[in-house]
Amino acid sequence: MQKEQHFLEVHQIYKAYGSGDSRQEVLRGMDFTVAKGEFCVLLGPSGSGKSTLLNIIGGIDCADDGYIAIHGDKLKDMDEKALTMYRRKHLGYVFQLYNLIPNLTVKENIEVGAYLSDHPLETEELLQTLGLYEHRHKLPNQLSGGQQQRTSIGRAIIKNPDILLCDEPTGALDYNTSKEILKLIEEVNQKYGNTVIMVTHNEAIQQMADHTVKLRDGQVRKNIMNENKISATELDW
Amino acid sequence: MRKKGTRNPLRKRYLREIKSQWKKYLALFLLLTLTIGFVSGMFVANDSMETAAQEAYEKYNIEDGHFTMKELPADALLATFAEEGIHLVKQFYKDFDEDDDLDGERDAKARVFAMRDEMNRACLMEGRFPEKDDEIVIDRMHADNSNVTVGDTIRLNGRDMTIVGLVAFSDYSTLYENSSDVMFDALTFDVAAVTPECYETLDGKEAYQYAFQYNERPQSETEQKEKAETLAEQLMILSASGGLIDDEETADKLEELIDAGEALEEEGDTLEAEGDALEAEGDTLEMRGDALQEKADALKQEGAALEKAAMSLEITPDVAMQKKAELEKRGEELQKEGDALEAEADDLKKRGDDLQARADDLQKRADALEAELTALLPQVKSFEDLEQYEDETNELKDFVPEYANQAIHFAPSDLGSDKVMCEVLLIILIIVLAFIFAITVNQNIEKEAAVIGTLRASGYKRSELLIHYVSIPVIITFVAAVVGNLLGYSCFKGVVVSMYYNSYSLPTYVTLWNADGFIRTTVYPLLIMAAICTLVVFLKLRLSPLRFLRRDLRLSRRKKAVRLPKWKLMTRFRLRILFQNIPDYLVLTVGIFFVMIMLAFSVGLPATLDAYKADITDYMIADYQVILKSAEDKDGNPVETSEPTAEKFDMEGLVSVDGPHIGEKISAYGYQKGSSFFDLPDEMKDGEVYVSDAYSEKFHLSPGDSVTLKEEFGGRRYDFTIIGIYDLPGTVAILMPQDVFDRVFERKEGEFTGFLSKNEIMDIDDEMIMTVITEEDMMKMAKQLDHSMGSYMKYFAVICMLVAMLLIYLLTKLIIEKNAVSISMVKVLGYTNREINSLYIRLTTCVVILGAVITSCLSFLTVREVWKMVMYRLNGWFTFAVRMDLIIETTVMVIISYLIVSFFDMRRIKKIPLTEALKNVE
Repeated sequence: MQKEQHFLEVHQIYKAYGSGDSRQEVLRGMDFTVAKGEFCVLLGPSGSGKSTLLNIIGGIDCADDGYIAIHGDKLKDMDEKALTMYRRKHLGYVFQLYNLIPNLTVKENIEVGAYLSDHPLETEELLQTLGLYEHRHKLPNQLSGGQQQRTSIGRAIIKNPDILLCDEPTGALDYNTSKEILKLIEEVNQKYGNTVIMVTHNEAIQQMADHTVKLRDGQVRKNIMNENKISATELDW
Repeated sequence: MRKKGTRNPLRKRYLREIKSQWKKYLALFLLLTLTIGFVSGMFVANDSMETAAQEAYEKYNIEDGHFTMKELPADALLATFAEEGIHLVKQFYKDFDEDDDLDGERDAKARVFAMRDEMNRACLMEGRFPEKDDEIVIDRMHADNSNVTVGDTIRLNGRDMTIVGLVAFSDYSTLYENSSDVMFDALTFDVAAVTPECYETLDGKEAYQYAFQYNERPQSETEQKEKAETLAEQLMILSASGGLIDDEETADKLEELIDAGEALEEEGDTLEAEGDALEAEGDTLEMRGDALQEKADALKQEGAALEKAAMSLEITPDVAMQKKAELEKRGEELQKEGDALEAEADDLKKRGDDLQARADDLQKRADALEAELTALLPQVKSFEDLEQYEDETNELKDFVPEYANQAIHFAPSDLGSDKVMCEVLLIILIIVLAFIFAITVNQNIEKEAAVIGTLRASGYKRSELLIHYVSIPVIITFVAAVVGNLLGYSCFKGVVVSMYYNSYSLPTYVTLWNADGFIRTTVYPLLIMAAICTLVVFLKLRLSPLRFLRRDLRLSRRKKAVRLPKWKLMTRFRLRILFQNIPDYLVLTVGIFFVMIMLAFSVGLPATLDAYKADITDYMIADYQVILKSAEDKDGNPVETSEPTAEKFDMEGLVSVDGPHIGEKISAYGYQKGSSFFDLPDEMKDGEVYVSDAYSEKFHLSPGDSVTLKEEFGGRRYDFTIIGIYDLPGTVAILMPQDVFDRVFERKEGEFTGFLSKNEIMDIDDEMIMTVITEEDMMKMAKQLDHSMGSYMKYFAVICMLVAMLLIYLLTKLIIEKNAVSISMVKVLGYTNREINSLYIRLTTCVVILGAVITSCLSFLTVREVWKMVMYRLNGWFTFAVRMDLIIETTVMVIISYLIVSFFDMRRIKKIPLTEALKNVE
């Protein structure tokens, strides 16, 4: 697939929390770009700033300095309303702990995502694809972790977002389920051509990515383009 | 084991927890404090005033009852009381027109007594008692309501009097003009006192009222009632017999004797007439005898003259013989006539003897009857003696035992019932607030599930955590109770006292420490709060530490999702939110119901009074109802009027013996045939009646039902069958045609009570009129209720709206906080604030509107039932207004309160950070 250069630009991002003695710099001049349709993994240990960076890319948090640009549109220039529209039109989110709406069924949780799009994917078909059709009338607390995460992915991709942000999507899952989920994300990336940015501390996952950004202490340590990526099913850790 | 004296370190969280959610806790604290404060003030004020009212019995020597006679009673009547062990005190009064602002217009009716220093003494509130003529003390509350005070001058029937003191009359703590009045009247009725000398100089109608006390006070309520009923009957008989007899048996016996005496008298009269006729006949006979004798004498003289003439041969013998024969013939005729006369005389004598024998018999029977009369009543030697008593017959106009005297009892019993009502309201509100606290604590537990799991896994006991989570509600309730009680004793007591002093003329009181009130306003709220919160926390903490660690705090087994129809996502989303938050919305609805009850009262009462005032003409039988003292004037002629609209009517005072209000005063009306005031049939059978719809509603009566009523002061009972309901909403009455009335109540023909008229009757002497009931009299109740409560209702409604706002604020805050993660999540997904508001705020709006509509209807129905209960205690009847416009008004008030709160809710939703969804941990 032809990748568009500089689809997402992360430019000199600085972010700190607290003030005075308790001030802690989480991101210190982060700089990299992601091409359209690229599977990008942000890899790093705890405290490296990867989740903070993902939140800033998602417009949930804002940088103290630097900017994030999508198609050249800088997030820092957007007001709250524009940011909402940005998330609505361009982003899909997958969290480590799924963050499903507990009082909605599987189908309804996915429809929550569909509602935001003018041209959503077909819900029933997606449920089949996700292997959730049988469970579509269940509430999240009636599902296993893997099923919940699949629902979360369904909710994120049903609106066919430009960018799929995944924050440790396998962090709460066992090995086999994690591989299933990674495979699903890979399939989504390949089938729909979404740009995937995945935060993880699992080094094995970088093997299935087009692009790995290794982070430590709020800085990019390595920016690696993977020419020999493997399928999620081949991963092992 | 924990070292002795080491405190649970979790206690350090209390202040931080309160600080972190200070708005919520402040709202709860304010609600608790203000409610407890007001109820505490109510308890303190009520108990202090109730104690003062109780002490007044001894301090001011309050009567055991009083009665009023139509005329000044005879000594014989009064003497009976001493024999019966009853101490009587004269408390005559005169009613005057009172002009408070000296503008020449009547402002009130003043009931003026001579200063009473033995029974029913007055409590001096300000100034001094009168010492000179033209000095007066008046009721303190009336003075307040009329803006007059010590030193001012008022005018009584044109006479200026200077107010030297303001008092509370111990037998008029509530200003009931008459014991049967539906409502007291603090606006246009005043009670006053002057010196006895001044009283004598006041020119006005005098009421002959006596207060009494039993020498041996009744020991129980039953005894009190029995004694009063016996006394009332005795009084009625005594007054009817001019003080001669006091029991029904003797009265019946005497009536029999009088009837027998009257029959004898009638027989004697017949005998006398017969004797007179006999005498006249005798006289005629005598006259005829005399004429016969004269004729005989003339014949004799003629015979002698004939003999002389024959002897002197003045006439021939033939002529002599011829004349002799003539004379003999005339003699024979005279003899015949004389014989007939003698026979007639013999017959007359015989008849005379017969008449004498009958007269002797009559005398004998009369003597026996008189002997019987003397045996029955030793003080009466003959029927002639009864005449002096007949001259002294009287009529009992009013008999009010102390226990039935609204003027004495209404205020203290109202104090008691207000206290109960406030306590009930406090308990309901505390329960609502306790549930809000419980929901808050529950949310905190869910939020801190992992921490609790860790602590439990580390060895913390359930009880330690339970105490920890229940502590904040209990601490806040305790502080609110303490602060509330301080406010109760300082600010709110004054508010409550001024409310009561505005309606009742109560004596001065001393603020008393009220242990019971303190317990009810401190211990009860604490217990309720602790019990409800403990129950909720206990149920949660029963779960295993693992469940807490896994954040799986469902108390019930996993529930399947309710299948919803294929509606729009947003509709289904809202329904899911509703299902998830049902307990919160239930508490919200209960809270709204609580507020609605208060709002229904605050909006419904003025509307009820307005409706009553507006419909007042419907409530009147006639514009003028003139009750006469007697149907006959001084000369014994029936009282008449030239007023063309006037119509005679008859009335009898009866009381109920069963039903929801025993002792309810029920007027029995007798109306004229073709009456222009009663649209009712002219013909009915004896015992058949129509009842007013007020009576029908109050006593749940329908056509075909039977009712038994009793004489107001006597023991006679009457049974009636209801044949119809008559549209007369303001009056509890039964109605029947005059002829039926006369037969039922054994009235003499031509007897009547007064006139009904469309215009004022001007041509009847005032002396003949006992009272005139006009529209103004009917309005008294509405005006008084308006004065006592109506003016507070607007403020009360505003307070209700504030309470509604606080309650809705607390509950919607809880709902939003509970859903904060979901709200944050949908924000992250790209939902706009407007969409999120449409999910959460619109749902709450629907719940509030639906809840407001339902609870508004329910609350009006509830208040209507409570109102009925209140009316059952009183004489008279009118229903609480339950109208669609009022339901809409209260609904709108709650919705406005909600809309104000929803503005803050929208801000709160907007403020929920996007990162809330990413925390996933406590």
